[in-house]
Amino acid sequence: MIDRATDPLVSVSGLQKAYGALQVLQGIDLTMKPGERLVVIGPSGGGKSTLLRVMMGLENINGGSITFAGKPYIHAGAKPAKTAIDFQVRRSIGMVFQHYTLFPHLNVLQNLILAPCKVRGEKKSAATERANALLTRFGLGQKATAFPSQLSGGQKQRVAIARALMLDPKLMLFDEVTSALDPELVGEVEQVILQLARQDMPMMIVTHDMWFAKNIASRVLFCAGGVIVEDGPPEQVLGAPKEERTKDFIDRVFHIRQ
Amino acid sequence: MALDFSVLLRFQDALLKGLLTTLELTLICIVLGCAIGFFVGLARTSDNRILRGVSGFYVEFFRGTPVLIQLFWIFFCLPLLLGTELSNFTSAVIALTLYMGAITSETFRASLRSIGREQYDACVALGLPRWTQTTSVVLPQAVLRAIPTLLSNCISLFKESALVSAVGMADLMFVGSNISNNTARPVEVLTVVALIYFVIAFPLTRAVTFIEQRILTKLAV
Repeated sequence: MIDRATDPLVSVSGLQKAYGALQVLQGIDLTMKPGERLVVIGPSGGGKSTLLRVMMGLENINGGSITFAGKPYIHAGAKPAKTAIDFQVRRSIGMVFQHYTLFPHLNVLQNLILAPCKVRGEKKSAATERANALLTRFGLGQKATAFPSQLSGGQKQRVAIARALMLDPKLMLFDEVTSALDPELVGEVEQVILQLARQDMPMMIVTHDMWFAKNIASRVLFCAGGVIVEDGPPEQVLGAPKEERTKDFIDRVFHIRQ
Repeated sequence: MALDFSVLLRFQDALLKGLLTTLELTLICIVLGCAIGFFVGLARTSDNRILRGVSGFYVEFFRGTPVLIQLFWIFFCLPLLLGTELSNFTSAVIALTLYMGAITSETFRASLRSIGREQYDACVALGLPRWTQTTSVVLPQAVLRAIPTLLSNCISLFKESALVSAVGMADLMFVGSNISNNTARPVEVLTVVALIYFVIAFPLTRAVTFIEQRILTKLAV
């Protein structure tokens, strides 16, 4: 339990991750307080998505450790395959991916209740009730019996968010969740995430959408070359970056957007 | 000499009986073969090297040798090894089941491999235990994806089953050959036998196309 708002929710120390000879994360140190909405921006290949995947326990690491809500969560072993992950702690974290990753053979409702029923042993009726409430809240009340293939990209991504929320996560990770969407569908997904932000859900978001970053972030990290180059409030990192590399990136991104 | 199909009218019952034998044999071998194929497919994707090796040898052996030789080998050699006689029906069931098992295991293996990494990532992110991952996410999708190819395998087996006539089993092909020899009307008889095979196989091949489209649409995410 986090007793005080100042105690870190996440504490990352010396995190290293390599794919073969390619060093993707080169000693990341990071603390995140409860209620923070951390947006990670940066060039492709800079390690943003890898950082989130490591946070979710999807990747082994080469060095460093992560604690979550004061508990040891991930710790590097003698070799990457020996990475120690506390699965109980991992269940406190939810993640939504770029490519929806809904289970195509299950309908929307079944997608939502699978984990609560199988992981937490929740009764099907109780899980269904919660799922229907979430779907209604996200404007998907009519889609409970639809299959993922019958939904638009934006609807699929909202279902994916609802599915993650069914497990009452203490931290949500969003990995470029609007990158695969048609431009006109981006807004509906971002609105759902903004809705969660208003409820003080702690989140880490990797995005290329600077408008969204500016609107949702309580803090922005600029990540490049496997290190955190700049870390600060959105007005600073997006508006008046101190580091030259951040400035270059922001100039280029905003130039493209204009 | 003019073609005369009327000669076949006298042999309706024999042809029907032969067809029923063919269908019975095919169905038994489909059920047993798919069961073997499913587990062999799992074994071939297993982390255990011995399981992978043994299952791989079985599949390559039965895929790489003619079914007719497998059939002869089981009919003539297996009784010598077992020290007991096998009926031609039993021999045919064993041979075609093992053949079907090898073919369908490849279908299952391919469909298991077609499940993308992101599905496994989603399972991890939802904290699904390994058993639930396998039984609720991976296998249902793999089986769904396998269905069209499995149906094609079944149609192939239905046609391949004609080979059992070579070990004297009274299937449709065997009955057809007998009638053909007795009436000296091979063209008419074999044409009708071919038509019977076609009438059963054709709707099934159409069904495969239809089902394939449905499944692909459903699994497209």
